[in-house]
Amino acid sequence: MEKIGLKVRARAKEALENREVDEVMGWKKGEFWYDVYPVFITEANEADDLIWDAFCVNNLSKYLIQKQKENKKVGVFLKGCDSLGFNQLLKDNRIDRDQVVIYGLPCVGMVDPEKVKKEGLNKGLLEIKRSKDEITFVTKEGEKKILGRQFDYDKCLACRYPNPVVYDELLDTEIAREVSEMDRFKDVEAIEKMSITERFEYWSNQFSKCIRCNACRNICPACSCEKCVFDNVNAGVSSKASVDSEEQFFHITRAYHVAGRCVDCGECTRVCPAGIPLDQLNHKIMKDINELYGKYDAGVDVSQDAPLVTYKLDDADSFTEHGKGGK
Amino acid sequence: MKKILKSQISQLWKRINQSYELFIPIEKDNKVNFSMWQEGDQVNLEILKTNSSPKNIIFPQTETYLQFEKNGKKINMESVGGKKEAYVLFGVRPCDVVSFNLLDNVFLREPVDRFYEERRNKGIVISMACSDPEETCFCSAFGIDPENAVEGVDVATWDMGDKILWMAQTEKGKMFTQSLKDLLKEATEEDEEACVQLKNNIKEKVKNLPLSNIDMKKIDKSMKDLFESSIWEDFSAQCLGCGSCTYVCPTCHCYDIQDFDGGKSGERFRCWDSCMFSDFTLMAHGNPRKTQKERFRQRFMHKLVYYPNNHGTYACVGCGRCIERCPVHIDMVKVIKKLGGEL
Repeated sequence: MEKIGLKVRARAKEALENREVDEVMGWKKGEFWYDVYPVFITEANEADDLIWDAFCVNNLSKYLIQKQKENKKVGVFLKGCDSLGFNQLLKDNRIDRDQVVIYGLPCVGMVDPEKVKKEGLNKGLLEIKRSKDEITFVTKEGEKKILGRQFDYDKCLACRYPNPVVYDELLDTEIAREVSEMDRFKDVEAIEKMSITERFEYWSNQFSKCIRCNACRNICPACSCEKCVFDNVNAGVSSKASVDSEEQFFHITRAYHVAGRCVDCGECTRVCPAGIPLDQLNHKIMKDINELYGKYDAGVDVSQDAPLVTYKLDDADSFTEHGKGGK
Repeated sequence: MKKILKSQISQLWKRINQSYELFIPIEKDNKVNFSMWQEGDQVNLEILKTNSSPKNIIFPQTETYLQFEKNGKKINMESVGGKKEAYVLFGVRPCDVVSFNLLDNVFLREPVDRFYEERRNKGIVISMACSDPEETCFCSAFGIDPENAVEGVDVATWDMGDKILWMAQTEKGKMFTQSLKDLLKEATEEDEEACVQLKNNIKEKVKNLPLSNIDMKKIDKSMKDLFESSIWEDFSAQCLGCGSCTYVCPTCHCYDIQDFDGGKSGERFRCWDSCMFSDFTLMAHGNPRKTQKERFRQRFMHKLVYYPNNHGTYACVGCGRCIERCPVHIDMVKVIKKLGGEL
C-alpha cells in the first residue's frame, strides 16, 4: 500500500498543479494508528499529507454533493465499495459525473481497529502496515507480521467488488478475490428461520439499542435527501426520542427507503455506536428483491433499471389483485 | 479501607439490589453499558469506557415530564418525571464522575432542575480507579487523577485483581459501607501498600499516554478570535453532522422538550439534543445556527470557551469516547490541538 500511497500523493499534486481539478478529496493520518480522516485539499503542497493505508475506510463520494453545490470540479479517490456508492449517487441524480475525476484504488480490505483491540495487539502499537494480506504491527519494540484476514472488517470479508466499478484512472493493478455471492446473505438465514414473533423480538431488541445519533443515515451513500423526513420538525416524528416506537419507526423507514438503492457497503453497521447489525436488515431486503425481481446489484451498473422503480407486465407483483375485491 | 474478594462480588450485587437499583457496566451483545443489574447479567468491571457514558443514569436520554389528556374543554395533566427509587451507580470511572459535577453546575444552579436534583439525591456513586488507562484517555489534561477518588464520589474503589479495595468518601458513602459491613472486610496493611503501588503505576502509565502532552493553556486566543477561527470551516466540512460524539459524550447536556402527540392525549418529554442536528436551537423566528459550521463550532466553543467562562472549568473530561466513535475521526483532540496552534 505504501507504493500506491506515493502514487496517490503524486497524482493529487499533479492534478492540482495542472488545474485539472479545483479540489482533491483523500485521506490523512491523524493521532493514532487507526486514525485516518477525510481531507479536502486545494493546494499542491498539501498533497504530501495524503495517505493510502489499511484505515482509509471512509467513502468520500457523499461529500461530492456539497462540493458540487460549490461548483467545484473535484478529484476523488475511490475504492471498490466507494465506487458503488458513487454510482448510486449518480443514479439518484445527486451528483454530476462530468465534475468529478475518479482515481480508482483496488482494495484488499480495511483493518477493523476493534478486532485488533480484541486481540490485545493495540498496546503500544504505533502503526499498522499492510501489503496484500500481510499485516505488519509496528511497536516501539519492533515489528510483528501476521498473515491472514482475521483483522479485516466483516464487511470487507464479504466484499464483492475489491476493484472500483467506475473510475477515470486506476492507480494499482486489479485485485482478484474469490467471493461467494451467498456469503453476504448468510446472516439472513438465521432471521428467516425465526418465527414472526421471534423476528419481532429480535429486531425490537436490536433497535432498542439505538441512541438516535443518525450516524447510519449520515454515512449512507443512499441517504442523500436534501431534507430527511427525520430532520423535518413539521413531520410529526420525534426523531430525538429514545423510545422503542420511534427507534423502530426510524430504522424500518430508513431500510425501506434505501431498499433497492443500498449498495451494501456496510458503513451503517461500521459506524453504529450501539452495534446494531443494520446490514443484516439490508441483506434481507436485497435477498428478497433478488428473489422477487431477479438479481440486482445497486451501484454496479448505472444504466440498469432499478427493480423498485420499474414496472414490467410480468412483474412478480402484478398490482392488479390489490384494491377493491382483491387481496 | 475495606475490601471484598472478587469471588464474593456477586453476593455484593445481590445485597445492594435488595435495597437499591444497581447500575453497573453490563456486557450485552459485545457492548458494555451501565444498565440495571439483574441476576445472571454479565458484569464487566475491566472496561474503562462504556459504550455510552453513565450520564444516561443521572440525566436520561428521554424522560417524560407530564402526561396530558383532553377532556371536553379541560385538559388533565399529571406530572410523572423524576426518580423515586434509590440507586447505586457502581464502577464509574473518575472522568465520568467529574462529568456529573459538570452537569451539576448547570442543572443544580438556580433555577434548580428538580427532576435532575431528585435523581442525583437518590443515587450513591461508587467510582473505580483506572488501573490501565488507554491510548485515547486524556483526563490528565483537565486535572483529573484516574488513580484517585475524585470529588463527588461517595465511595472509591480500586481493582486489585483478585479483590476490590473500598473506601468511603462521604457521609452517604460511610453509611452505605456500614450497611454492608458483613460483606466488606477490613483491608490489611499489605492491601493498603498494594493500593499505593497501584496508584503509582497508574500515574506512571498516564504520563506515558500518547495524549498526555495535551496542554489546554495553548488555547489562549480571545473568544472572538477563536470564534472566528478558520478551523471551523474545514472541520465542519468533514463532519457528517451525526450526533455520535454528542450522545456518547459524558458532558454534553443540551436538551430539547417535545410532545408525543396522540391527538386527544399525549406526553411531554425532555430528550437529549445535539448541536450537530439541523433543528438544534431552531426557534419560531428561524435558526441562528444555519449551517454545520455554526453547529460544529458551538460544540467545541461550548466545551472549551463558553462553559469555562461561566463555570471556571472546561466541559470536557478527556474520556476519549468521541475519538473512538466519530465515523470520520474528527474529534475533540484534533480541535484542541488545532485551536492551540499545534496541528
